[in-house]
Amino acid sequence: MGQVVIMKKFFDREAFLLSGFDKKQKRQSLLVSLLLVLFFIVSAFTFFNALYGFVDAIGSIVSGSIDVALRDIVRSIPLILSAFMSIWALLLLQAFYRNPNPERWKKSVMKDSICLLCFALANLLFVIIGRFAGVYLSLVEGSPSPWYPLDSVLFSLIFIALGVLAILYVKRVAKDSPYVVPSRGEVRCKARGLYCTFLAFWLLMALFGFSAGLFSIFIYDFLHGHAFFGVATVIAYLMPPLFLAAWEFYYHELKMENKKRFLLPLAIVGLVVSIFAAALYFISLGLDRDAPSNAGFGMFPIAFAASVNIATMLVVACPLIVSIVALINGLRLRKKAN
Amino acid sequence: MKTKTWAVLLPLLATSLTSCGAVSNYADHLEDYVETMRFHEKFNILQLTDIHWSYDSSTLASRNYLDKLLQQVQKHISDTQGAGAKIDLIEITGDQFMLANAYHVETFLKFFEEKAVEYGFLYTAIWGNHDRHGLYNPNWLSDQFGKAEHCIFIDPEDNLYGRSNFVINLTEDGTSASTTKWQLANLDSGASFSETAISPFRDYDYIREDQVDWWLKEHARVGESVPTIAYYHIPQQDNLEAWNAIHNDGATYKHKFFKLEGFADNGNEAYASKFIEEGRNHNLKAAFMGHAHNVDWTVDYKGVVLGLGVKTGTELYFAHIDTKDTDPAMVEGLASVGINENFDLIGAALVTLQDENNFELEHLYYNERATSDFVAWVKW
Repeated sequence: MGQVVIMKKFFDREAFLLSGFDKKQKRQSLLVSLLLVLFFIVSAFTFFNALYGFVDAIGSIVSGSIDVALRDIVRSIPLILSAFMSIWALLLLQAFYRNPNPERWKKSVMKDSICLLCFALANLLFVIIGRFAGVYLSLVEGSPSPWYPLDSVLFSLIFIALGVLAILYVKRVAKDSPYVVPSRGEVRCKARGLYCTFLAFWLLMALFGFSAGLFSIFIYDFLHGHAFFGVATVIAYLMPPLFLAAWEFYYHELKMENKKRFLLPLAIVGLVVSIFAAALYFISLGLDRDAPSNAGFGMFPIAFAASVNIATMLVVACPLIVSIVALINGLRLRKKAN
Repeated sequence: MKTKTWAVLLPLLATSLTSCGAVSNYADHLEDYVETMRFHEKFNILQLTDIHWSYDSSTLASRNYLDKLLQQVQKHISDTQGAGAKIDLIEITGDQFMLANAYHVETFLKFFEEKAVEYGFLYTAIWGNHDRHGLYNPNWLSDQFGKAEHCIFIDPEDNLYGRSNFVINLTEDGTSASTTKWQLANLDSGASFSETAISPFRDYDYIREDQVDWWLKEHARVGESVPTIAYYHIPQQDNLEAWNAIHNDGATYKHKFFKLEGFADNGNEAYASKFIEEGRNHNLKAAFMGHAHNVDWTVDYKGVVLGLGVKTGTELYFAHIDTKDTDPAMVEGLASVGINENFDLIGAALVTLQDENNFELEHLYYNERATSDFVAWVKW
């Protein structure tokens, strides 16, 4: 009964930090949230691109052609740097989202902006030198797009502009009128390394899951009896990004006391949903064991023919792990409270 | 109202998720899987395989290589068969793409369409395991092959396993009304399959029973005595059997070229294909495939020539042939081709149908080099 009452309060306005914000803070907060979503989407696709280039090179190494792998990795550096650029832009925005205090926020923004500028400038330099050194036969020699690697140069220029803007904002605008939106999410001190590693893994799985989930809607052969498997796989892929969205935009938007109260019921809901998604995936595979390869497996860049199943299992496992960790934490908090 | 709505919606949803759409039974529409070409003596079929365009390929560099390779082949044909002779058909035997997107597919087809006009050939594309491994819908890829003007490709909405199962009948006058002299059977050897729902690994696919049955029926339509050459992607277990028979049991089958890595059959007898075994009784002269880039070994195994094509281009991986290498397989391969300098095992394979019953096979090793390109033709 108690759980039901809590569930009803899940969407109570007063449970969220936002209820304590003034008008300007709400506007800033909305803008940062929207930009976070936008850069998450951009990062998901650039990460997928980089993974595609990288995995092909890994395939060459596994097959014993290290020379081919090196040639291809060098050629794909703009793909990899583009992923770094967009993910770093995401981290830069994250600094606006979680700002424990103005000083720390300034430091984070400066650090992330400089990193972003370094990646973007490195890419610019690499393409120019690469063209002269013969890595590229032309600035538009093609693959993965007709304008590659020129398109990565234009991409770099956008991120250079973003980095410069962020630095100017900290140096000029925020000097007199600091960015003051309260932080969402505490900065951990205990086991920070492990926590950050897990979050990074989760972020990468979410980026992969988001792009794979969206791509698979378009590239999957839902005909020829593969529809059930297709739907089950799309659901499995979208689980990690959905869980990340719930974590960032729901759990971290809650006031501290509500976070403690809501963690356990949220974890239970998460566990049920992820078990359902996992079960759906395995049932659909059992009914259509040819599907992963015959319905199209472009969304499995991390897998070659033999390991396609393992790749999906990793994705399916991610929300389960998140839910179990949340469940353990929720139980721990409840025990503490009692 | 809600209960009623669900009562209607749920069965509809279940049907839409499990239905296959309107599919035909392959055995009832055998004529839908047939293309014809006019046969003539010295009919040249060039096999390109495992081109592997991917995200980190330079399509420009690869097109340059393919362009020069086609020039070499045309020159060789003109030199050996006379000025009027040409490549008649190109069989692209799988893994054209891996980790690729629509740009790669469109660029690839544009290139082959241009070359088809320039050289006057037709071409076919057979699915390899990695052609399904890209950012496009497999049905879209089939449509692109099907729509290309000079590409022979058939993928009906049917219950036959795979996507590129069709035959090209080489007839007297190029129409199905005249006698078939040779049949070219193209088969989709699939990608992979799970033995169980929770298997962490997948096995390489094999030519399935319904595909064998389909080909036997297509072959029966043109006459049991018509000689056939099959093209598909993944080597079946017969290649390994032949290798073991020669190297373990001392069999004396004619064999040639290189085998520097394993074949790709899954090694499980429960999933062994009967295609070659059945073909032996139905005038199957040869089967050519790709998939294993470091292998271009060819063997005459109990009356059927089983040959891997030469990997085309430098994408993903290929073997460097070193004349100083002491590995027995390398030594054996080098002795069979009689080449005395280092080279890369990339190029193409050319089958020439000499007359109504005989064919010749040659392997071209073609490497781009800074000074002068390496070109070696080796006869089977």
